[in-house]
Amino acid sequence: MRAKTITEEELCTFVADLVAAGTRVTAPVRAAEGKVDYRAITRFEEAAIGAELPRRSLKEFFLPPTEPLFSWRQGKGDVTVKPVSVSFPPHVVLGARPCDAAAVEILDRVMGWDYRDELWFGRREATTIVSVACPGIDGSCFCTATGRGPDSTRGSDLMMTPVDGGYFVEAVTPKGEAFVRTHAARFADVADPGTTVAAEAFRARARSRVAENLTLSLPALRSWLGSSFDHELWRTIALRCHGCGACASVCPTCHCFDIVDEPDGVRAGTRRRNWDTCQTARFTVHASGHNPRTDQNARFRQRVMHKFSIYPDRFGEVLCTGCGRCARACPGGMDLPEVLKTIAALAGADGPREAAV
Amino acid sequence: MKELQELARTLLSSGTVGVVIGWEEGPRGARPAFITDAADSSRLIFDHRCTHNLATYLSPRRPHMARLGKAAIVVKGCDARAVAGLLRETQVKREDVVIIGVRCGGVAADPAGAKPLTAETVAERCPGCTAREPHLADHVVGEAQPEPPGAPTRDARIAELDAMSAPKRWAFWQAEFARCIRCNACREVCPMCFCERCVGDKTEPQWLESSPHPRGNFAWHVTRALHQAGRCVDCGECQRACPADIPLGLLNRKIAGIVADRFDYRATDDPTVPAPIGAFSMSDRQEFIL
Amino acid sequence: MALPAEKIEAFEPRITAFVCNWCTYTGADLAGTSRLQMDPNVRIIRLPCTGRIDPLFVIKAFERGADGVIVSGCHPADCHYTSGNYHARRRFAVFNEILGFLGVEPERLTFSWVSASEGQKWREVVNDATARARRLGPFDAFRALAGRSA
Repeated sequence: MRAKTITEEELCTFVADLVAAGTRVTAPVRAAEGKVDYRAITRFEEAAIGAELPRRSLKEFFLPPTEPLFSWRQGKGDVTVKPVSVSFPPHVVLGARPCDAAAVEILDRVMGWDYRDELWFGRREATTIVSVACPGIDGSCFCTATGRGPDSTRGSDLMMTPVDGGYFVEAVTPKGEAFVRTHAARFADVADPGTTVAAEAFRARARSRVAENLTLSLPALRSWLGSSFDHELWRTIALRCHGCGACASVCPTCHCFDIVDEPDGVRAGTRRRNWDTCQTARFTVHASGHNPRTDQNARFRQRVMHKFSIYPDRFGEVLCTGCGRCARACPGGMDLPEVLKTIAALAGADGPREAAV
Repeated sequence: MKELQELARTLLSSGTVGVVIGWEEGPRGARPAFITDAADSSRLIFDHRCTHNLATYLSPRRPHMARLGKAAIVVKGCDARAVAGLLRETQVKREDVVIIGVRCGGVAADPAGAKPLTAETVAERCPGCTAREPHLADHVVGEAQPEPPGAPTRDARIAELDAMSAPKRWAFWQAEFARCIRCNACREVCPMCFCERCVGDKTEPQWLESSPHPRGNFAWHVTRALHQAGRCVDCGECQRACPADIPLGLLNRKIAGIVADRFDYRATDDPTVPAPIGAFSMSDRQEFIL
Repeated sequence: MALPAEKIEAFEPRITAFVCNWCTYTGADLAGTSRLQMDPNVRIIRLPCTGRIDPLFVIKAFERGADGVIVSGCHPADCHYTSGNYHARRRFAVFNEILGFLGVEPERLTFSWVSASEGQKWREVVNDATARARRLGPFDAFRALAGRSA
């Protein structure tokens, strides 16, 4: 499909059309506390596209912080189990950050690996993700170092790039193409070849801006991690870490969950799954009381290992999109890009040798 | 700064301590630093971005800290109250910690960036602070600092909430708690939350539902507030750490008001003053009891 | 928010009472053996002492559908364990104010001292707590907190 353009005015109509047709629309919105969150909108004017990075990523729209898996009721001699619905109404995310969209696609692998997570994929199939190319946020961005970028189309169905008077639009997936066809009246063909050039210039600027923050050789990093479980680096890596897990809750790719049964009255209850994080001590406590991860250093090592060694070993790519939220959210000043830089130096993986690998 | 760095160097090179816990320049502003080599003492800084309460790192729950040896800790006057709390509740022995007090002129709410300290950037606990001079200290460094900028704001907000009807107050807090995802960051950064096993983590029986739904969230925030009564030192770390920006400082301030009013107790850096919950007086007010 | 009169008639509040073994429970027993008539809305949970009553019990009671809660024990200076009630008095003073600050109507909570000889007072406490909960209606605000079931 050829690239299209869409104006701000058409976007207003577009959102109105979607909402009128009963589609849930989510976009970055400035919350009352002054921060930006992905939230439901009913009019395009409510969206704060291009504002700062939302506090949390998109993952909660596919894996909510808490969700019921089923409920049960005990009768006389039997138990009735009521499953949850795994079909979801149509949903459009408008103005997703490319780092957040990429994360969702990366998580598809673990969610559909040995067991197909119906809740995850039910929401995935109901959702169309329209991303907006990012100009880069600040010095904690490192998406280019993780093999993605501020204009990465991974996980997006449509990618929009800001240009004068609106957006340059490309369909990434068949779903995105169908979406453009359905709403063909809102989009125009690219009239001026200068628009394409301007869009590419915007993206190139963003890429080089983010690349200044950090460059890595991911294979070298992974190979060092694979053989350095007992490296002395880990002995003091997490002194300032509180083990609070704020990093995991804002992370677009951290996806661990806990499963709990909660009673609703005496003979009924609900099984739920809730976000969990390997950064807390209780995550690995055994029933005996023994904890194989003895301290915070071990827990932080797990976070780095899982993202840059274990996940790529199993699924072929790192479990990080370089959004930098963990560094921004950390009350103790832990900084993942800084840690990666340190490891890269140890591994001889620093510098722009990516292309050669 | 020089004075602080020199002191750290002396403490480390003489073997008095194994680690000096202070602040350094990080990729995103000031952050906690752990100096174990005297030669690194020059990394230590203290300025208005040093908002973190480092007393959290003295918690006995952190075995990796204990391995660094005896600690010297840099504290603002307000942070010293947390050290006093740990001493009062026998979590730390006085002889096991060297306390370096720094004189403070208020700190910023956000340790990142280089914004000057103004009424807009100052932490909400700082205006009107009466704990800027550290008393619980082995060494005090730095010159006397000016008053923090700005005026206290929380008491007015509390009065506003108190004046609302109960259902309105309920709605206010429910909207705040709705954002809670039960990551427990508020607990983990709190210097006074040192329980080996928090009641919030207990499963047999499970007193607090761990799900971040409104019922679990309400139970957690009531419990956190109650367990902080007469113990909270109002360092604001819980609110700063909260990835959902829930105004826990407001709740903490309310609790401080309750214990001040009822038990004449205020957070103090004197570890010999007993905590109000756990003690009692025959003449405690009981107007709420039939 | 009070209910209209006809709704008040139809609504039977559920009240959970946490009482100490030595004074209030015995007082309630006395009320029973004295055949005092009182509202049948209260379920009593007996504990050794008010000092054993964790404020979390109150939260749990509301979570499980209570419309009101009574906490009752020995008068000051009467505690079987010397000081349990003094500790409880401090704890519940703070708890009561925190719940109020978070928007729980104070009428849903009743604290009382009822001695072993005060069967008559127990009846008053029960009737009073029931009447107040009846006026407020079901604690729907708390029940609405229940997580979405499957």
